[in-house]
Parts: sequence; C-alpha cells; structure tokens
Amino acid sequence: MHHWPFSWLTTVDVSRDGYRAEALFWYTTLMCVIAFTLVTFALVYSSWKYRARPGVKALYTHGTDRKSFLVTGILAALVFVTIDMNLVRVSQADVKEYTYNWPVSPDTVKIEVMPQQWAWNIRYAGPDGVFNTADDVVTLNEMRVPVGRPVMLNLKAKDVIHSFYIPNFRLKQDANPGYVTRTWFQAVQPGNFEIACSQMCGWAHYQMKGDLIVQPEADFARWMKEAEGDAKRRFDPADKEQLWGWEWVQ
Amino acid sequence: MGDMGDMGDMVDAALTKPVRHVHVGPDFHAEQHIHPEPTSFLAKYIFSFDHKVIAKQFLWYGLFFLAMGGLMAMMIRWQIAYPGTAFPVLGQLMWPQSGGVMPPQSYAAFFTMHGTLMIFFAITPILIGAFGNLLIPLMIGARDMAFPTLNLMSFWTNVLAGLCMVVSFFVPMGAAAGGWQSYPTLSTLVGSPGHGQTLWVLGIFLTGSASIMGAVNYITTVVRLRAPGMGYFQMPLSVWGIWLTAILNALFVPVLAAGVLLLFLDRVFGSHFFLAGAAITKGGGDPVLYQHLFWIFGHPEVYILILPAWGIVSDLLSFFSRKPAFGYKATALSMSVITLLSMVVYGHHMFVVGMSPLLSQGFMTLTMLISIPSAVFFLNWLGTMWRGSIRFATPMLFAVGVVFVFGLGGLTGLHLGAISSDIYLHDSYFVIGHFHLTMAASVLLGAFAAIYFWFPKMFGKMMNETLGKWHFWLTIVPITVVFCGMLVVGYAGMQRRLYNYQAYEFLKHLHPINVWMTRAALLLGASQFLFVANFLSSLISGKKASENPWEVGTLEWTIPSPPPHHNYDEIPVVLHGPHEFNNPAVTGKDWLAQDEPIGDEPAALGAVGN
Amino acid sequence: MTSLAHGVQRLPLPEESRRTSFVGMVMALASWTMLFVALFFSYAVLRLNAATWPPDGLAPLPKALPFLNTLVLLASSLLLHRGTRPESEEKPGTLRRAILGTMALGGLFLALQLAVWIPLWQSGFRIDNTGPYGSIFYGLTVFHALHVLAGLLALALLLPGAFSGRHTSGRSSSVRLSAMFWHFVDVVWVVMFVAVYLV
Repeated sequence: MHHWPFSWLTTVDVSRDGYRAEALFWYTTLMCVIAFTLVTFALVYSSWKYRARPGVKALYTHGTDRKSFLVTGILAALVFVTIDMNLVRVSQADVKEYTYNWPVSPDTVKIEVMPQQWAWNIRYAGPDGVFNTADDVVTLNEMRVPVGRPVMLNLKAKDVIHSFYIPNFRLKQDANPGYVTRTWFQAVQPGNFEIACSQMCGWAHYQMKGDLIVQPEADFARWMKEAEGDAKRRFDPADKEQLWGWEWVQ
Repeated sequence: MGDMGDMGDMVDAALTKPVRHVHVGPDFHAEQHIHPEPTSFLAKYIFSFDHKVIAKQFLWYGLFFLAMGGLMAMMIRWQIAYPGTAFPVLGQLMWPQSGGVMPPQSYAAFFTMHGTLMIFFAITPILIGAFGNLLIPLMIGARDMAFPTLNLMSFWTNVLAGLCMVVSFFVPMGAAAGGWQSYPTLSTLVGSPGHGQTLWVLGIFLTGSASIMGAVNYITTVVRLRAPGMGYFQMPLSVWGIWLTAILNALFVPVLAAGVLLLFLDRVFGSHFFLAGAAITKGGGDPVLYQHLFWIFGHPEVYILILPAWGIVSDLLSFFSRKPAFGYKATALSMSVITLLSMVVYGHHMFVVGMSPLLSQGFMTLTMLISIPSAVFFLNWLGTMWRGSIRFATPMLFAVGVVFVFGLGGLTGLHLGAISSDIYLHDSYFVIGHFHLTMAASVLLGAFAAIYFWFPKMFGKMMNETLGKWHFWLTIVPITVVFCGMLVVGYAGMQRRLYNYQAYEFLKHLHPINVWMTRAALLLGASQFLFVANFLSSLISGKKASENPWEVGTLEWTIPSPPPHHNYDEIPVVLHGPHEFNNPAVTGKDWLAQDEPIGDEPAALGAVGN
Repeated sequence: MTSLAHGVQRLPLPEESRRTSFVGMVMALASWTMLFVALFFSYAVLRLNAATWPPDGLAPLPKALPFLNTLVLLASSLLLHRGTRPESEEKPGTLRRAILGTMALGGLFLALQLAVWIPLWQSGFRIDNTGPYGSIFYGLTVFHALHVLAGLLALALLLPGAFSGRHTSGRSSSVRLSAMFWHFVDVVWVVMFVAVYLV
C-alpha cells in the first residue's frame, strides 16, 4: 500500500492504479509548494527590504542585460524541465500502462452502464456473454465487482451527460448520450464504496448516487449465479425500458 | 502629381531625422477631429460616443453584475455550509414557500448564473469594457477610439444581453440551470424546457457580439491611432494586455457564438446538432461537439479575462516600485506567446469526455508549454520589485495581491494539465479552486487595483487610502482562504455543483472545512461594503485629484484629471517607454513623462525601453 | 526601429481614415471567418460521426439550382468589383449600375434559394425530422442567406450616395467596406456549396 500525506482528508484508495493519480498529484504539489514558497519569499522580502525610504533611490535598470536574461531564462527552463517535463513523462507512462491500456485478459468483468436522470442502470452480459439479451443481469444503482480482476465499463448516457465517478478508485469517466465511452479499474480490497455523478445532470444531480460493492471472488460468483437465475424469470420483453444495451466496445 | 513629390519629401524626412523632430502641426491628426462636447443629458451620459463616458458606463454596469453575482455566491456558499436553513433576510423574500430555504432548482440556477454573470457581465465589462475603453486611447495618445459609433453599439448591445439574463430569472421555470458552460443535452429541451435557457443563449450571443464589436475597435485603435513615436514596444503593458485580449476576443468569441447559435436552433427550431440518446429516433447529433466549440473558445477566454489584469499589474508594479518594468519586452512577448498557446490547448478541459488518447496526450504536452512564458513574466514581476523603492499605496497592495493569488492559481493548473491527476480532479472543487484563484481572485484584485489607480483620472477625485488598505487586507485574506479551501476539499474528492454534498458518505467529514470556507466567503462579501462606501463617498466628496497624483509617466497622466472631452489638445509625440523611473539623466523628480524631453539631450528613442 | 514602426502617420488625411476603416473591416471579417470556420468544423465533426452521408437513407440534396446560384453570386461579385475599381470614377454611373446589378443578382440568389428550400420542406425534408443532415443543410444555408440579406441592405444604403455622386468608386470608404463584405459572403457561399452540396 502507498502512503500519502493528509490521508485522513480523502477516501481510502482501494484500486490497483489509483496510486498513479496520487503520486502525480503529490509530486506536482511538492513542486508547487517549493515554487510558491520561493515566489512568496521573494515577494515578502522585496516588499520589506525595498520599501520606499527617504534617501534611497531605486535601481535604474530595464532588466535587459545579459545577466538578467540568463537568470530568467535558466529559471524558466528549470521550471519546465523539473516540473512540466516530469509531469508529462509520468502521465504518459500512466496512460500507456493504465488509462488507455484496456484489459484483454479473459477474466475481465464487462459491465455496461447507462446513467439517466437520476440513476445508474447497470448491466452484465450473463452466461451468453452478449448484452441486451434475456439472460442479462440488470441492476439499478448497485454495481458488484470481484477483488483482483480487471473490470471494464462501457458507458452511454440515456438522456444527458453524466460522469461515472468512484473516488476510492481515483477514477472518473463521462457518459455521453449517443456514443460509448470506456474505462477500467481493478479493486485490491473488498468493501462497500460509493458511485457518484460528477457531471451536472439536472437539479437532482446531487442525489445521483450508487453503490459499488467489491466482493471476494467466491462471494461475487455466488451473487452472480443467483442473479442470473433471477434474470430469466424477471425478463419481460414487453417492457421496452428494459431493452437497452449495445455491442461491446473493447 | 505634385502631391507625390511632397509626399516623397515627407517620407525622406521621416526616415532620416530622429522622430522627435517630425513636425506635428495642428492638423497632423485631422483624422481625429476635435468634436464639440455634447450638451444634452442624453448625448452626454446615455448614448455617448466618448470612450471615457462609455468606460464609466461599463464600470457601473460591471459593478452592478459583480454585486449580483457576488450575492449569488454568498447564497451558494450558505447552502453548502448550512443546508436546510434560510439565508438571512433574502431567503424569506425569495423562497417563502420553503421557509426561506433555497430549493435545489434555484441552487442550480444560481451557480449557473453566478458563473455566467461574473464572467460575461462583471469581469468582461469592468476589465475589458471599462478599462479597455478608458486606457487604450488615453495611453496611446489618441482622442478617442477608432470607431466611436461601434463603441456605443457595443455597450448597448451588452445592455440588451444583460437584460436577457436578468429577465430570465422571472420566466416560468426560472433562469438557465445547466452550468455556465450549458452543455447539451442538458441545455436542450431534453433537460431544460424553460425559456430561461433560451434567454441565456440569446444573452450569450448578444454579449458575444458586443465583445466582438469592442475587440475590432480596440485592435484597430491600437494599430492605427498610436501617437507619433508610440511604437508597440513603447506602449504601456496595460495596453498590451488589453490588445492581446481583444485579438483573442475577435478570433474566439465567434466560435462560442457558433456554438450557442446551433444550440439556439436545437432549442427553437428542433434541429439535431447536439441531440442524441433516447430523446431522438433518427440519426443523432453530437453533444460533445458543443464541448469542442465551447472550449475552443473557453480556453482563450480564461486568458481573455486575465491578460488585461496581467498588463495592469505589470505596469503598477513598475509604477509603485519606481523602477522600469524588468524585462519589458520579454513580458510583452511572453504574454503574446501565451496568447498563441491558448489557442491550441483547449483539449485539456476534456480529458474525461472520452476523446481519442492521442489527442489527449497532445493537448497535455502543449498545455505544459504554457509554463515557460508564465515563468518568464512572473520572474519579471519579481525582478521589477527587486531593488525598487516601493510605495505601498492601495493600488500597489492589490497588484502584489494579484501576484500572490495568481501564483497559487497558476501552479494548481499543473495538476489539471496532466491527464492522470486530472482524471481524479476533474469536475471537483479542485478545479473550482484553481479557476477562481486565476479568473476570479486575480482578476478581481486586478480590477480593484485598476479602479483605485485610475479613479482619479476617471472622476477627478482621490479615493480614500485608509479605507482602501482595509479593503485590501479584508479581501486578500478571506479570498485566499475560500479558494484554497476549495483546493483542499477538491483533493478530498468533492464534486462541484452539489446541492447537498452530505448526500455522499465520503464527503461528510469535510463539513468543518466547508463551514469555514463559507464564513470566509461571507466576510469577503461583507468587506466589499468598504469598497462601495469608499467608491461612493470619494465620488461625492473625495479630495480633488491633481493631474498626476501617482507621479508616473504614461500619457494619461500628462493631461488634466478628468481629461477634457477630446483628451489631448495636441497629440503628444512619444519619446520614451512607459516606465522611465529614476533615470539618472532626470533631475529633481524620479519619473519622466513619455512625451517629455530630458533637458537639452533627449534620450535616443531606440535605446529606451529595450 | 524605423519611424514608420513608431506610429508616425504621414499619408494624406483621407487616406489615413480609409486605412483605419480598412483595418477595422479586416478584423471584423477575420472574426466573421472564425464564426463560419466553427460552423464548418461542426459540420465536419457531425459528418465524420455518421456511418453514411447522407445518413439514415435520406436522399441527397439537389445540386443543379445551387450550382446555378454559385454562378449568380460569382457574377455579382465580379460586377461589383468592376464597378468599385478606381477607374470607374472616370465614367459616371458605373458604380451606380454595378450596385443595382449586384443587388438584382443578390435578389435572384435569394429567390433561387427559396426555390431550393420550399420544395424540400414540402416534401417532408424539414429541419426537425432529418437529424444532423437536415440541421446542417438548413442551419448553414439559411444563416448564410441572412448574410446575403444584410449585404443587400448595406448595398441599398449606398444608393443615395451613388446617385448623388458622393460615391463614385471603391475609393469611398463605405463603398469599399460594403464590397468587402459582399465578396466575403460570396466566398463563404462557394465553400458552403462545395462542402454541403458537392462533397
């Protein structure tokens, strides 16, 4: 497990890859604190040291001599190299290794999510592995996933834009009407966590909350089996609202 | 053909002789006629063509909406910290049916309109409308804007836009409530059936048109009406900032206009530009297209708002440090480079939209480049104060305040520019904290600096220094607390735009921080009464301002306060840069007017300010 | 730096004023261009999203009349250009005839546009039932037609001056600026014709 400063402030990170956002955040914050401390020090020091006093004249310079030019240039380059280039480097590695590195292993849990005002429609493909069929497991505002397996989501909104946000996984992905977006995560410990909407989606946006239940593999398998049994029984082809889902986008 | 010979002589003369010898006869600038001052009330104060009067109109207009937007911010903060309790006094008046408690629909309308009003109707009119109008002609030595009629139209179009916004509160279902970006499909009939959203779209289109009119005018004025000797690198940095802002406005506001135009068609004529999902049956449009249009405009927009403040701060730091602006050219060029970069980084607002990975990574890299020019002018600001002789009058306090809060705001942009940290922080209070530090705190403090500094020139009266200093300290402390608090709760995971964040278990423990932020916000709001009191009392009974109370050298301080209707009896000939403080060749005072020769031995033009 | 770069103005005075309004118009048209660029960008995005174009089995748009209309607008621009050249000052009435001719061609353009829109609309191809295809078609062409209308108004406002002899060529600023706007609207149409009808 990773340890970050002020961990009491935020949610516990229960994901395999959430450390990436944290690591980058704290690296950036450290750099910012250093830079800002220097700026503030210069500001306060100059304000005090060079306050107007009788008999003391300001230096007449336009700061265009070679020395000023070099100092400014070197400091700006230093900022760019130590902060920005590092951020880009780390972030590029993160997106390559995680964000856009879609899981391909066969044990990946595939879930389709269709948020609407103001609820989360969640769908597992069921035994046939095909979405929008009679054997699909459909839940409302409750997503169950096993520990230790990659979970990949396909998201598409029903009405307005929503954003699937799971703070404990340091993850967020918009769901748009009209086309599918993807994201993925992997849990490292079981527990009950919250799903939040992070995109303004109407006046009850704040109520659009779901549960993410992370279970040990055996518990998850038991639940899934039971739910698949229920699914066939509960399927009603006449209920048009229930007929949603799309071809899986890998 | 005889004319040609004369002209050739003139060209020769101008090329061979130093500029200060160019003869400036009374009709040299006959293009800028001296018009007689209007006498009727209507022509003088309402439908005025005078840039100084239009500047004042924009100032009052902007301050009105600043107060309105500010009051909404207080109510929003109140709801966050004390949900379910009535906002004192006003709550009972506005929502008697719920015992004074703000309902969630109103909360959504309030944060939407708070953003809209502050950005388009407070900051834009004050910094661009008022100070753009006031400063460009005065600082470049012109008698008015290039197109006074366009200037008048720009203001009154803006008023029409403001009316749309104000009226929208009173239509059934209330004002727009889909966030200040008004993303479809929420902002289409699918999510916002009321007329409030349509009025919002109209208002944005109108205020956008007004901005473009202003921008065309500003750019042309700077290009064409600079006084003789006033090269681009002799212009005060305030003019540079406003000019670059005008360029961005002219080029990118039309993109927003296109976006809201299509949104208007979707809402009123039932087209399908942005509609998709369950609401339609036939071939959907693309809601994300609107986001592209919005942010192609939206990212330049943040620089549109901050560039005038940067310019003004750059000048004020030099003025009050009694020292030439350090690296003047580098500052002007950095601002220009940022202006260019701002056109190609908008995608960093859309990392979680589901954009192609390649695009996201490209936008991230481009975004990081902004650090270089930012670092340059930041260092130049510090360099300007270094070994100065700093006078801490109120405008200077506010200018230093801008450097402080902009440091915080600029640096926290780094967290949001990198994809993997942005995915966690996106749409959280961290974003709100970041852009309030840059766009709200920095710009607001910059606007106050400008008002305190140019009030004597605008109104011919001095503002009260004691009240001004109290106002500064009672503003900078709470403003920092509020917006840094937002960074903290944002890191903790709190999303923006929640009517009641305590609906989420993982946010409940943030309550004490939120309560303290609200207290600071209320203090911030209350301390603005010091400003109002100072502004109004100085207007009525302030000490009479001399021609040049701050002892600085830019052109507007060489003419009476307030300036006559035509500004300059004779168009000045500029000999120096705008920041000639403590020039060793000058004796008896530490400043030098831009058009003032030094003794018998005038400074060579090319060597000054370079 | 030369004195020129320092803002010293040394041209005959009416020329100064002409230049100022020219610079303003160039900026205004740059701004306007961005508006249309954004609209064309929107079109491109919507079209790239669609699997087929025209989508959903909709019939392609007519091409013949719009092509004719392109010729009409190009002819109007040519006519206006000839009428506003400095040489027309020598032949009184040239500008007057050019403006009237351009306005007639502009009016013809709008009439032909109506001849495109009305049958389409009556056949059931409306803005609200044809998805992005119809949205783009009506949105872009009607918005452009409004600009033609504005151009006609600008030209009409020149007529009193053209008849009184106050305006004799494009050396008169208001003539020059109105002509610039008219040409701009034409160029936009050519791009629109190619993008919306042809490609």
